[in-house]
Amino acid sequence: MPESVQLAHPTPREAFNRGMRELLPAGPGVIAWGIVTGVAMVKSGLTVPEAIGLSLAAYAGSAQLAALPLIASVAPLWLVFVTALIVNLRFVVYSAAVRPYFQSLPARYRLSLGYIIGDIMFVKFTNLMQNEPRYHRPIAYYCGGAVCNWLIWQAASIAGIVLAKEIPPAWGLELAGTLALVALVVPLCRQYATLVGALISATVAVLAHGLPLRLGLLLGLLSGMAAAFWADRRRDAGMGS
Amino acid sequence: MDLYVWGGILAITLATVVARTVLLLLPGQLSWPPSIDAALRYAPACALAGIIAPDLLFVADSGEIAANPKLWGGLVGIFIFATTRSMIATIGGGMLVFTLSRLGLLPF
Repeated sequence: MPESVQLAHPTPREAFNRGMRELLPAGPGVIAWGIVTGVAMVKSGLTVPEAIGLSLAAYAGSAQLAALPLIASVAPLWLVFVTALIVNLRFVVYSAAVRPYFQSLPARYRLSLGYIIGDIMFVKFTNLMQNEPRYHRPIAYYCGGAVCNWLIWQAASIAGIVLAKEIPPAWGLELAGTLALVALVVPLCRQYATLVGALISATVAVLAHGLPLRLGLLLGLLSGMAAAFWADRRRDAGMGS
Repeated sequence: MDLYVWGGILAITLATVVARTVLLLLPGQLSWPPSIDAALRYAPACALAGIIAPDLLFVADSGEIAANPKLWGGLVGIFIFATTRSMIATIGGGMLVFTLSRLGLLPF
């Protein structure tokens, strides 16, 4: 099949474009989330330049929103730092998962690739690595999607900051972001162990929702991973292999 | 106040950069047991499920679990994606059901 040979050896540009193409369907979700985050930043008291600065520099929706009430109440800066760090702990798990693919690159590239990691591109990239482990240009693919995600997010976030007063919260725009994640998680759950992990993670995250700093999500993530691992082992053992 | 806010922005940025890159920047061979690697394969699905479930179930005003327009939108979204494989249709259909339900135009 000459076609598959060609697909396995894309040029960097082709791989970059493919990453972009595969990110774009999530665009409406990213836009809606960006707008909601932008609006929320202004509502919690940041001026327009401050909100734009935070969005461009941090690029971390939930950490921005979690830390803003602390800034509004003039809490010590170390507490702001620790809060944002804890909210971002899932990225430590993400970077552990992508480390093998980035390991051989110079440090400045690893720094930039890590800086632009997000939920959607993390899922897309790990999907690609599992389905096409010999794909020739994984980094260019990753960059295409991640850069595209960054640009869409920033444009939407700045739009939200500028239009904050015109967008009623009742519209529930954040649901569009959640729906984009729904579309990402459904195909992953066809595997038995993954389904178990997702259900456990969802349950634990809901039960632990009262915990501060999105620790419920971290707890769900870790217990879901453990449950999926266990389900996988049990099934292997059950099949007598 | 001004300078403090920019200090806060710097603190959030640093925290994000640290979380995203610390494991990528550690030099040399990091090694962990193969079971950790196996469990990491499930990180994407577990992270997404852990984000989605509370988003759909909890009502923002009361902070309690209840049947609510977001939940209906989300369930319809799951159904649409399972049948069409289209992310755009999932987002569009889910938002439509959510909006109709929110405006009281649906029986639920």
